[in-house]
Amino acid sequence: MVVNVGDVVLPGECLPEPRSNKGVVILGPGLRRSEDDSKGLTVSRAGVLCHKAPNMYWVEGHAKRYVPCKGDLVVGVVAKKSGDQFKIDIGSAEHASLSAFSFEGATKKQKPDLQVGDVVYAKLVTAHREMEPELVCVNKYFKAANLGPLSNQGFLLNLDSRLIVRLLDVQHPLLAVLAKTCAYEIAIGMNGKVFVMGRTSKDTMHVAEALLAAQHHDNVTT
Amino acid sequence: MGDNSRTKLSKSVLDMKFMKKTKDRVEKEADDAEGNAMYSSEITEDMKKSGTIFVNTSIMNCRNLIEGRLSFGGMNPDIEKIMSDTYVKQLEDAEKQNEKDVSDQEMAEGYSTLNKTMAKKFQTKKARSKKFMKPKPMD
Repeated sequence: MVVNVGDVVLPGECLPEPRSNKGVVILGPGLRRSEDDSKGLTVSRAGVLCHKAPNMYWVEGHAKRYVPCKGDLVVGVVAKKSGDQFKIDIGSAEHASLSAFSFEGATKKQKPDLQVGDVVYAKLVTAHREMEPELVCVNKYFKAANLGPLSNQGFLLNLDSRLIVRLLDVQHPLLAVLAKTCAYEIAIGMNGKVFVMGRTSKDTMHVAEALLAAQHHDNVTT
Repeated sequence: MGDNSRTKLSKSVLDMKFMKKTKDRVEKEADDAEGNAMYSSEITEDMKKSGTIFVNTSIMNCRNLIEGRLSFGGMNPDIEKIMSDTYVKQLEDAEKQNEKDVSDQEMAEGYSTLNKTMAKKFQTKKARSKKFMKPKPMD
């Protein structure tokens, strides 16, 4: 079945001729190249087909299970520690692996002090259907920047993926409004896990409650 | 040179000082041949022909989302320093966009209607006037 931009799509439907720019098509989540038509795309997730000029396509919809995607910034919980490798629970089907050396300034002698149950903010460098996802805690200049282990005094909560996308829109007012009432820091992962920490535990819970309540509001931001 | 590429030069000849360029070329050819042989089973004729490249990306790039590590009210000064480069700038850009009375899109549309009016002026009368269709007589 052939679909157009703006349609509600289901897994298995095809988009036969996506618009390309200099022979390149950029695929967001929910799409993959089709197996029988080398030029076409197959939908792999239910939702609305979106397009951004000139050559970007993706599917937006409600998803309970996080599907890792290369380049996503995620919040994960350390689930296992084995030698130089950490296994991180990011809410996907399989635990992601994180090397102890992919932290800023980490060497064989100086490894990051991470225990099972700690929370990290990391970037996905590989995400394949057939392979275990891989995380790093450094940017392309090998600096930590805003990645790395998070404080163990905060609060971790799971939010709806649609709310995450809304919160990360720079024009969404919720985070700025909360900042007026209390000081807090937040790490929003694309996988739905959100880490919140305020100055006092009352502040932390205040922000967490606000985020949980925001899930039940509709998508209109104005 | 064309014939040269066919004939195989012996190793000792290639090792001579003045043969350096030729040696590099021969090695590159051997490498390419090896690579072709290795992947030829994976690459179909269709793939070679279509030439469309598919690149996967995160939804952050699709929707122009910000990075989700934020701090407000001086909670984490390091993060706020990084934010001042990225988040604050994006916020200002978004505000600037909202302040405009006439959006870029509307401006372009307005100009295109003006274009049409001017174009009409330079049309011949014949082209401008549509043929009058006689209405069908009612019964």
